[in-house]
Amino acid sequence: MTATLPSTSLDDAEHPQVFTGTPSAGEPGQVDAHDVCAWFGDRLVLETVDLVMEKSKVTALIGPSGCGKSTFLRIINRMHEVVPGAQLAGSVKLDGVDIYGPGQRAMETRRHIGMVFQKPNPFPAMTIAENVLAGLKFSRTSPANKDDLIEESLTKGGLWNEVKDRLGELGGALSGGQQQRLCIARSLAVKPRVLLMDEPCSALDPTSTLRIEQTIKEIASEVTVVIVTHNMQQAQRVSDYCAFFLAEENQPGRVIEAGRTTTIFGSPTDQRTFDYVNGQFG
Amino acid sequence: MTIDLEPSTARPERTVPAPLVITRDYSTPDRIYRAGVRISGAGVFLLLVVIGFFLAWSGYPAFQQAGWKFFTRSGFQTLGAHPTFGVLASIVGTVEVAVVAMLVGAPIAIATALFLSEYAPLKTRRTLIAMIDLAAAIPSIIFGLWAVFELQPNVVGFSTWLSRHLDFIPFFKVVSPPLNASIFIAGLVVGIMIVPIVASICREVFSLAPAGEREAALALGASRWQMIRTVVLPFGRGGMVGAVMLGLGRALEETIAVSIILGGSFTVTAHILQHGGSTISQLIAINFGSGGKLGLQDLLLCGFVLFILTLVINLAASAIVNNSRSGAGVDL
Repeated sequence: MTATLPSTSLDDAEHPQVFTGTPSAGEPGQVDAHDVCAWFGDRLVLETVDLVMEKSKVTALIGPSGCGKSTFLRIINRMHEVVPGAQLAGSVKLDGVDIYGPGQRAMETRRHIGMVFQKPNPFPAMTIAENVLAGLKFSRTSPANKDDLIEESLTKGGLWNEVKDRLGELGGALSGGQQQRLCIARSLAVKPRVLLMDEPCSALDPTSTLRIEQTIKEIASEVTVVIVTHNMQQAQRVSDYCAFFLAEENQPGRVIEAGRTTTIFGSPTDQRTFDYVNGQFG
Repeated sequence: MTIDLEPSTARPERTVPAPLVITRDYSTPDRIYRAGVRISGAGVFLLLVVIGFFLAWSGYPAFQQAGWKFFTRSGFQTLGAHPTFGVLASIVGTVEVAVVAMLVGAPIAIATALFLSEYAPLKTRRTLIAMIDLAAAIPSIIFGLWAVFELQPNVVGFSTWLSRHLDFIPFFKVVSPPLNASIFIAGLVVGIMIVPIVASICREVFSLAPAGEREAALALGASRWQMIRTVVLPFGRGGMVGAVMLGLGRALEETIAVSIILGGSFTVTAHILQHGGSTISQLIAINFGSGGKLGLQDLLLCGFVLFILTLVINLAASAIVNNSRSGAGVDL
């Protein structure tokens, strides 16, 4: 493996490059990925990615299909290792703590770093309320007031007004867009420090997409958001920072350029970034 | 120039047409195909009716001879001036063997299936699955022989232990030793015998649990077991019930292995650990050809009883609603 790439850490004077605070639940966290590589079987799909995902900010991962964005996202909350034959290298730190360090349990990490998937996946036979509380049941914690937490989470997910009178209905009975917002509410109910979103709107209609983008903006103060998206406008609308991933022919995916969203879209330094954000390919 | 934007006033009153009657015009190959599948479908049903009717018809003389006492007596004495025979001990024995078999077999099978679909390392998984499928094909006579020579001598000690320490449970009480050739051992071997087929089906069902929902649970911080309880087991419930019912069907009808374990005694007993007991299929198998004409009629009637018993259980199984989806009825 050759680490020939320049560091693509985001340069921002307001935020230190290394955050070594004590991890505390409920506070937005910073994610530092360093030298991250990923394999499926023998095939290297992601090469030496360095990326800092700033606390309380929305970072968008953009790039054409198959460039390793989703793989990178799944590495951040240890979902990559769930795939048979998947391997990885490098380190990922949440507020300075290596989530792949010795003694770190995957399930513990995932409680701090939640994930929303491309395809809405509520538990179809659980009620809306049960879905929201599912994560808490896994960690065997009970909130002070369940009803308040359900309302709070669903409000943050932008779903409360639509479902407040039918919390006892099944999660599977909602429309696709509502299901996805339920999944967001479910992830937020456990008060994660980081929320990962893997193309959360790609299966949804424009109205639902708009609702979810609103949600992302609203929650960013409480939770760091990392979102994979194929939609350039969406990346511009919701994100503070952007990382452009690209896998050139027969090459593993790499981060070509990363920085403030305005910079990436306005004045990218790399020609490939310019071509991509201006719709020249992908 | 003015444009009339009021279409309702411009349009005449319209009547709703009658619904179309769609006629299907089948081509000749279509007709042949439809007839073919209809005949096959009806054939299976017809076969069921014919078998049931045949058994009832041919066994009826024995019922005339014994009356309702056929169901309250036990034994197979059909020769001589005063024949006494009945099916009671065999019905009880059949149910007991099946219950023991299910209690032993179903949990092991489900645990095996979970291991294969969720825990086994990928490399060994395929080999293990192939082995389970192979084990499902072992003839029951092999199981029977193994049980007589290998299982039974080793299980008698366990039976003794159960009878000493758990004899406050009526089933484990022993009134008359010895403890070999018992309903318990017969049930044990049948239970082991049904593990492969039940495990194989359950594994198949578990592996179909939606990947998205599995990942949803894991990403929320579920442990593997919590994920299984939230997603895999509720999703697989219907299939699990089906697989276990299939196993139960085998347990009820298992003949050869049970015949070589059990002796020929017709005692109605709840004490499953002690010697003796009978099942319907074992009764038929070991007495076939003896007992003269009445004996044959008796056995055919016994067959009818078994036929009805399995039919009822299978109907009950299919009546269990398949409402299994992730999260259904989960209480974490």
